[in-house]
Amino acid sequence: MQTLLQQIINGLSLGSVYALIAVGYSLVYSILLFSNFAHGGFLIIGGYICYFMLRSVGANIWLAGAAAMVGAGVSAILTERVAYKPIREKTNITLYLLIASMGMSIVIENVFVILAGGRFRALPPVIPTSPVNVFGVATTSMFDILSLVTAVIFLSCLQLFLTRTKWGLAIRAAAYDLRVAGLMGVNVNRLVSIVFFVAGVLAAVGGIFLSARYTLYPQLGLITIKAFIAAVIGGLGSLPGAVVGSLILGLAEMLTAGFISSQMRDLVVFLLLIITLLIRPSGLFGKEVKEKV
Amino acid sequence: MSSYILELENVNKFFGGVHAVNDITFSLKKGELAGLIGPNGAGKTTIFNLITGVYPCDSGHITFRGEDITGLKTYEVIKKGIARTFQNLRLFPRSSALENVMTACQQHYNYSFLEAITHLGRWKSTERDIMMESLELLEKVGLADRAYQAAGTLPYGHQRRLEIARALALRPDLLLLDEPAAGMNPEEVQELNILIKDIHKTFDLTILVIEHHMELVMEICPHVICINFGAKIAEGTPHEVQNHPEVLRAYLGEEVK
Amino acid sequence: MFGGYVDGIIILLCINSIAAMGVSLLTGFTGIFTLGHAGYMALGAYISSILIIKAGFHWLVAVLLGGAGAMVIAWLVGIPTLKLMGDYYAIASIGLGEAIRLVLENWQSLTRGSRGIPGIPIYTSLPVAVIFFLVMATFMFFLINGKYGRAFKASRDDYIAASLLGFNTAHYRVLSLAISAFYCGISGALLAGFLSFIQPIMFDMLKSTELTAVVVFGGLGSLSGTLIGTTIITLVTELFRPISQYRMLIYGAVIVLIMIFRPEGIMGQHELHPRLILNLFKKDKSKPAEGGKM
Repeated sequence: MQTLLQQIINGLSLGSVYALIAVGYSLVYSILLFSNFAHGGFLIIGGYICYFMLRSVGANIWLAGAAAMVGAGVSAILTERVAYKPIREKTNITLYLLIASMGMSIVIENVFVILAGGRFRALPPVIPTSPVNVFGVATTSMFDILSLVTAVIFLSCLQLFLTRTKWGLAIRAAAYDLRVAGLMGVNVNRLVSIVFFVAGVLAAVGGIFLSARYTLYPQLGLITIKAFIAAVIGGLGSLPGAVVGSLILGLAEMLTAGFISSQMRDLVVFLLLIITLLIRPSGLFGKEVKEKV
Repeated sequence: MSSYILELENVNKFFGGVHAVNDITFSLKKGELAGLIGPNGAGKTTIFNLITGVYPCDSGHITFRGEDITGLKTYEVIKKGIARTFQNLRLFPRSSALENVMTACQQHYNYSFLEAITHLGRWKSTERDIMMESLELLEKVGLADRAYQAAGTLPYGHQRRLEIARALALRPDLLLLDEPAAGMNPEEVQELNILIKDIHKTFDLTILVIEHHMELVMEICPHVICINFGAKIAEGTPHEVQNHPEVLRAYLGEEVK
Repeated sequence: MFGGYVDGIIILLCINSIAAMGVSLLTGFTGIFTLGHAGYMALGAYISSILIIKAGFHWLVAVLLGGAGAMVIAWLVGIPTLKLMGDYYAIASIGLGEAIRLVLENWQSLTRGSRGIPGIPIYTSLPVAVIFFLVMATFMFFLINGKYGRAFKASRDDYIAASLLGFNTAHYRVLSLAISAFYCGISGALLAGFLSFIQPIMFDMLKSTELTAVVVFGGLGSLSGTLIGTTIITLVTELFRPISQYRMLIYGAVIVLIMIFRPEGIMGQHELHPRLILNLFKKDKSKPAEGGKM
């Protein structure tokens, strides 16, 4: 019973980190209707900036975190402007954007391989990992609680941004129809940049927690495949779906690791994906778009 | 009953709360040239989609040549002998006009996978036959000189004719034409009239045409069905339908008293 | 024949081309975007290697069974998953490719897991590679130039219109996937017989990405484009081997640049036509035209 609770908390913690990544990814999908495979790149940019600030500059976690978020956000905007904007201005074939994002993902990963080397780096232990007793029933680490809380805070902020601000409204409108939103006077390019900035920020936070948990290396971005899968399970383009999907995934992973085997953990993730796609491809909260004949 | 090639019986279709096709019943005799008219959004294309299995019926039956085809998959319905064209043109734009027609034409020819990858056996003669028949059809609609041009680069009127040629390549017994004159000027509509009457005779087809252009329908279709808001409001000869009060109301609106 | 190093490059070219042609059929001609086809190469490699090493099969039989095995699994998996369109299938394909790799990594008793299988006899000599390539390329060119090719292209260009022309598009999509898996399986099996050693990590998402990128680079809908693309990428990869870190960076950048400036790829949708070459040199034009226009 104790292990079960522990694994559940672990699962929710991992899931909440996935949620940060998946939500950013889903947000981009809802606006531009393509899967940005370079999203993982924003994650590692955040991770490396944070690491660099902590190790070389000796900054505290708040400053390092802020720098990472801004850095990742700006990189996201740059990526969009350099690689995606020229394509989406010429054509509406999303396949080209998809492939370009694959290319950007390779570029970003290898920039870090060259600059930082491929070795695994441990983040300085600025995020406390001391054990915490939960309701006297289970022990979990402070780290898990913190990542959960941080994710909740950021996602709530995002929710407020989307529902209470002018740009948030514009984004929700654009998620229905980008072109029409543009016709209504929304500056589409600026909107896309804002969306990418937000996605980058969220990815950075996720990246910091992931690199603290797993160590930092250029291929860490591959973990975003799991976030993609979470977004698909929840329904591509749906933000609540991304959160729910991520939590399900985190739980599934941890429960499998705890009760079956650690190796099966990744396999379970892909099985969940396949099952979702077979039973309900649009995911839990996704919309089925029927083509007009 | 055997003289009826197509029978729709109490066919209904809902899209969410919208009753798009409302208890539609009508029949077409073999060899007829009939018209389906009605204001925009009346449900005409939806009826075509129901007949061809693109959407499933919520209730009712569709019978083709005496066989119940309700609920069959699209490609199965087509194989039974029904072909259609589209309101918004659905050609393969990057393929040539000839290839578009050949893609349809090949349904009546066969060779095995093995022959396909080795180009041996029946491959050569079959491909030649497909090409010949396709060229003849292009000739029939007046596009023989544009056979190798990419379909997407053809002038609009030619694209419409190409779609008809492609549908004919399926050797259908029933041809459904969805607004074949859309976007055409009066001259082109006249040419189309002639073409439709011509293929009606030459290929011994039953044709059902959806049209807005009254000149086309009223001139060439002896049997007209008018629908509005998904339901049939009139059926008969062009003259009868034209003067039917419901039809007038549907097209011209209510008189303000 | 040309000396070990050059021989090796030609063999590698043949192996990569076979896999690329498979992906070309699926992505370029049937319009199904995949990011997991390295998984089918892995299946081909592992099935054939295990059959040779553990069951003493003759290499030719093992290679063909490797291709067949990949094809069967693709067929079974394809029937439910190919109902998905566009991005959804691409994501599913990632899942499938990774799932295959994970299974191979974890089924230690059969595959030795991530350590890989060493000591595979080297049966992929230059003549073997070239003959496999020529035969399979011919089959592919012929297949596309005929009723199957038109069926695949119809499913790609407009699957609704295709079904309204009587095509069972679901069937053709699965068929295309099965054939592409066969090609990748053979390629993987030949790779095993060339390197004498295989590991699951050799068939990861990067490899899958490379297969798809090569097809896009050469031109979606052009088989000759795929072959040209494969040749260029394979040669460049070999030439840049000394600076392999930068190689990947350049590779990624090239993909992005192509999508910005020439997304239709080198050949677009056209095939390399003898007439094209003849026109270049203004030689004898009495040679009858080949496939091209179809």
